[in-house]
Order: sequence, then C-alpha cells, then structure tokens
Amino acid sequence: MTAAEPTTAMATIYSEHVSELVVAGREPVADGVVSLVLEHPDGAELPTWTPGAHVDLLLVPDLTRQYSLCGSPSDLTRWRVGVLLDHGGRGGSRHVHEQLEVGSRLRVRGPRNHFPLVASERYLFVAGGIGITPLLPMVAQAEQAGADWTLYYGGRRRGSMAFLDELAAYGDRVVLRPEDEFGLLDLATILEPQPGTAVYSCGPEALLQAVEQHSAAWPPGSLHVERFAAKPVDEGAEATTFEVVCQRSGITVTVPADRSILEVVQDAGVNALSSCLEGVCGTCETPVVEGTPDHRDSLLSDEEKAAGDYMMICVSRSNSARLVLDL
Amino acid sequence: MTAPQPPGDAPFDCWYLAAGSNEVTDELTSRRLLGRQVLLYRQRDGRVVALDDRCAHRALPLSLGRLVDDRVICRYHGFTYDGTGACVQVPSQEHVPYGTQVASYPVREEGAVVWIWLGDPRRAGSAAPPRTPWLHDEAWSVLGGIRTVAAGYLLLHENALDRTHFAYVHPDTSHRGYLEGPPPLEIEVTETSVSYARTFPAAPLAAWQSAATGLPPDTRAVQHESGVFVSPALHVDHMRIEADGAVFRTAFVRAFTPVDPGVTRVHWWSARDWAPGDRTVDEILHRVHERTMEEDEPLLEAIQATVDRDGPGRRVNAAADAASVRAEQIVRRLVDEEQPRRLT
Repeated sequence: MTAAEPTTAMATIYSEHVSELVVAGREPVADGVVSLVLEHPDGAELPTWTPGAHVDLLLVPDLTRQYSLCGSPSDLTRWRVGVLLDHGGRGGSRHVHEQLEVGSRLRVRGPRNHFPLVASERYLFVAGGIGITPLLPMVAQAEQAGADWTLYYGGRRRGSMAFLDELAAYGDRVVLRPEDEFGLLDLATILEPQPGTAVYSCGPEALLQAVEQHSAAWPPGSLHVERFAAKPVDEGAEATTFEVVCQRSGITVTVPADRSILEVVQDAGVNALSSCLEGVCGTCETPVVEGTPDHRDSLLSDEEKAAGDYMMICVSRSNSARLVLDL
Repeated sequence: MTAPQPPGDAPFDCWYLAAGSNEVTDELTSRRLLGRQVLLYRQRDGRVVALDDRCAHRALPLSLGRLVDDRVICRYHGFTYDGTGACVQVPSQEHVPYGTQVASYPVREEGAVVWIWLGDPRRAGSAAPPRTPWLHDEAWSVLGGIRTVAAGYLLLHENALDRTHFAYVHPDTSHRGYLEGPPPLEIEVTETSVSYARTFPAAPLAAWQSAATGLPPDTRAVQHESGVFVSPALHVDHMRIEADGAVFRTAFVRAFTPVDPGVTRVHWWSARDWAPGDRTVDEILHRVHERTMEEDEPLLEAIQATVDRDGPGRRVNAAADAASVRAEQIVRRLVDEEQPRRLT
C-alpha cells in the first residue's frame, strides 16, 4: 500500500470562555461599592469556579476589568462581583457604576483562578477594603469544611466596608477593624507565626507589602496574596535581548529589550492566551521546558519562581540567553 | 514536588462515578475506586450507602457479609454496621467498643449515576457533581457499557481531548474531514474545564452514520462536534448532524474513574434525541462506540506499560495538544490544593 500518510494538520484557535450575561441584580453594599449579580439571559448554567477565582468584565472595547467572584461556587446560575468606584482609576469602575444597571448586557471572560484555597485545618484571612471580595467565598468554604479560621477585615470606616451584614453570621471569627476607630491593622500581632495555618490576603498594595514583610518568618508557602494591580517592579532590573523557542509551534523568536515575550510570540502567530498584560491575572501562565525565567509577575510564589517550571510571559523575561517554552 | 499517594495524579476532592444507578441494589457490591475498596448498597428508602469495605474488627471485606434491615452484618463475627458506618452491634458482648466504625463516603445519586466523594467529606459540599441531563431525559434514548482499561485516567482524558489521532487510529469511522485536513479546532478554557468545538462543512456521512440515521449514503450533512473535559471524573462529547432540515444530536458521555494507579474504569453512555427506542440504531451506535474504544485502548495500555517500565521521561507536546496540556494543568492544581506543602 502506497497511500500517503493522512494529513491531519489542523489549525487550533485557543481562547478563554466568554459568556454573554445580563445584570440580574445591582445593589449598593457600602459607600462607593456596588455588587452586581450576573446571569445567563436564558438561565443556562455558568462555568464552575472555586473560591479565589476572578473574571474579566469586557465593558467596552479596550476597557476590560478584573473582578473576583464573591458569590457561592455551588450556585451555577449566577455570579456576583463587588465593584469599588475608583475615582482615580482608568474608568473601569466608573463605567460599572454609571453605565451598568439591571438588564444591561455584557460579556464576561473566564473564570480563572490564581488565588486558589488550599486545603488546611487553619486559615488566617486578612482583607483590606474591597479586597474582601475573593475572601468571602473562601471563608464560606473554610466554615463549611469545619476549619479553624479568623478574618481580619480593615477599611477606612464601617460605612465603606462591604458585605458586613453577610460576615455578621460568622460571629467573632470575623474581626472588623475600621481605621477611623482602630487605626491600621496590627499586622505584627495578627501575623505572629502559627504553624499549620494558611494565610490569605487581598487588598491595596500597601497592605499586601506590609503583610509580606510581617510574614517573612512564616514557613515558606504559608502566604497567599492576590493583587489588584501589578507589584512595583524593581527599578534596577534591566531588560535584555534573548531568544524564545516555542516548542509546540516550532517557532523561534528573538525578544528585544523593549518588547514582551507575549507580544513577540503572538506576532509570530503563536496561540497564547493573555489578559491583564501586567503579570497579575495568570492567564498567560506558560510551562517552561528549558532555560531560566526572570520572573516579574505578582502571582507566582517565591518557591514557584525558584522552581522555574512556569512563567507569566506578559511581563517576565529570561535570565538565560534562550528559553524553551511549551507554546 | 513529591509524588502524592496512589493513584497520585487524581484529586480525591472530586465527585467520581461510583456506579450506574442500576448497579446498586440491596445486594452488597464491592468496588475499587481511587485505590480504596468501597462497599455499595441501597437502603430500603432508596438511598445509596458507600462504606469502607473492611470490617473494623478483623479486616474481612464487609461485602462478604449480609444486608439485613439496611444493616451490614460481617460474615466473620457478626459485627453489624448501619448506613453511616457506625458499628451498632457486636454479638459476642453487650456493648459496642467505643468509636467502632468504618469510613462512610458522601454519595449523590442523580439520574442514571451514583457519584461518590472519596476526599475530605467536609469539602464535599464545596462542589456539585457534574450534570448529565441527556442520560435522564425521556426525549433521549440511551445505551452504554462499562470497560476497564489498564491505563491511567489522564491518558483516557488526553485521548478524549485529542482529535489528531483519528485519522491514524479510527480511519474507518471518522468524519472524512479528518483525512482531508479538517477545519480549525476551537479550544476554550475556563478555570475548571477545557472544551473543543469544530464544524465540518457539508460532506458525505460516514457509513455507520448513514446506517444509523437512515439518511441516504450520498447525503451531504453539516457536522458539528464538540467535547468538554468537565472534571477529572467526566468527559462529554457532542455530535450534531444537520441534513435536509433534520437535526440529529448525540451525546457520548464517559466517566473515567481511577481504580488503582494505571487502571481506569470507563462507564460510557451514548444518548441521542433521534430514533427513540430503535434497537437497530442502538446496535449500530453500540458497535461503533465499542469499536472506537477498542481501537484506542491497546495503544493507551501500551503507553502505560512503557511508562511503568521505563519511567515517565519527558514528553514533547504538539501544537494540537493545547487542550490536554490545559487539562493536565487543571488536574495538577487540584492535586496541589488538597495536598499542600507541609506548613510546619
């Protein structure tokens, strides 16, 4: 038989799931914070998710914002997000506050999760302001699993702190610390090292940096943080030129000092997922086959960075002259 | 990262298929699931019970005993357990030794499927079993079977997500588009799932499709195929044939349950919303599904044997492996989350 081998060459289009949803509920939950309930217009089920997950709201072209899911993962018919109006922001939260009302349609990409809740007997949760949102489903799951947990929740004042009514059900597991009554969270005391405890924190950058400092003495891997914006990059880090081999695609490219790996490989026609372009969302996480990444994201833990098995190609670069990626 | 205990690459905190509903009766049934021996039976009120199949006294499998009034009586000394796994009677003495019990696993029965949670029972409420509406919708006709494959469950998932082996392994039953250069495959990911979808433009049907649908062999039909890695426990494929204004929808549902490392139980169903109750169609579909699996399984078993003998080595991924690479990432994260690094 001399028939040619079958041709199975096929193009692959790789993307994240996008749901076309309708705003089914909208209510103020604190000063400057609204919660939105999103549903499928025909009541269909939404993709499943786990505590810590977030979605992209595709508000208008070029206006995509990420919000943590803060409802119940077991309710497959609706998602809930909490949005703080940020007057100094780039317009995403203003759009949500001013343009979205019950009945509005919008596209939502995801969910994805780079802040997953690991199994543990004990949890310490530290929330600052709107950083409470990803922690809400976490404390619900910790409670359901019978874990020992405490949530410290700081904010400017009680009126600006969202979801206090829901948290009231947990009694003294939740410690509310509005700044105008108590001052800043006493992290030195809160973060006394406790073996066997997983720490989850979300909030403004200043809080997260303070939490990181005060957790230095904790066992490696204890601390999990989620950032709303990229961690400030060390100014001393210089960008260099290096080579990237996309092993699956069979393409080799050179990444110049002024461009990201993501930009260069996408230009070369490689299918790579991406979203935030800031190293915070984790969409572009890529397995590293060979080479030493220069991690500049805000997501991977120190141990994960040291292991070098994965990298965020939207911001991270290379310490070796060549990187081989599973792309 | 140290390798987790058997089956190693499967998360315990997940709803797996324990059995088809019709397999669980008032007879004691023993089944190996994720490296554990599980006793299954149905109480008089219809509820399914899943217990560790091992008497707390002398380790005799409880499945060798008897079921009397919803209670399991051990064959050896008559230790008696209720549906919660608590020992309620020890015939040789007045009282039951304090705390005597066997593990009880959360179970949910939905339609044709009994799902079991073998992980931390306190986390069972954090996820719902996957839904399989086609299997218990009266408008759909369902057939199926059970197979045991000497290959790890991830190899079966990978095989289910992979469309590029069709031309090589299933040349006679595949859409001929696979032989001639298929249209683009769209892969979509979410936090917990991966799906693929593709539409073949109007083309002649495969011989079995024509026989099953009753469409003339020269019918040109548009075919839409899609599939989804729903969870580590389940993969569902959908096929839609459109011809002459008629639509034929078929769901091919496969539950992959790790038995022991390198062994997987496959419970499969084919559900269709056409030719209801037609035995001839049942036979055609049964044959083609079985044939497809029979073509795949020796290859997967040979891969497993090679890896078992020579170690995992390093694998090269092709561009079209994007879906299975992603599924592995999802599974890896689930396994990591439930076996966190020791925080001491």
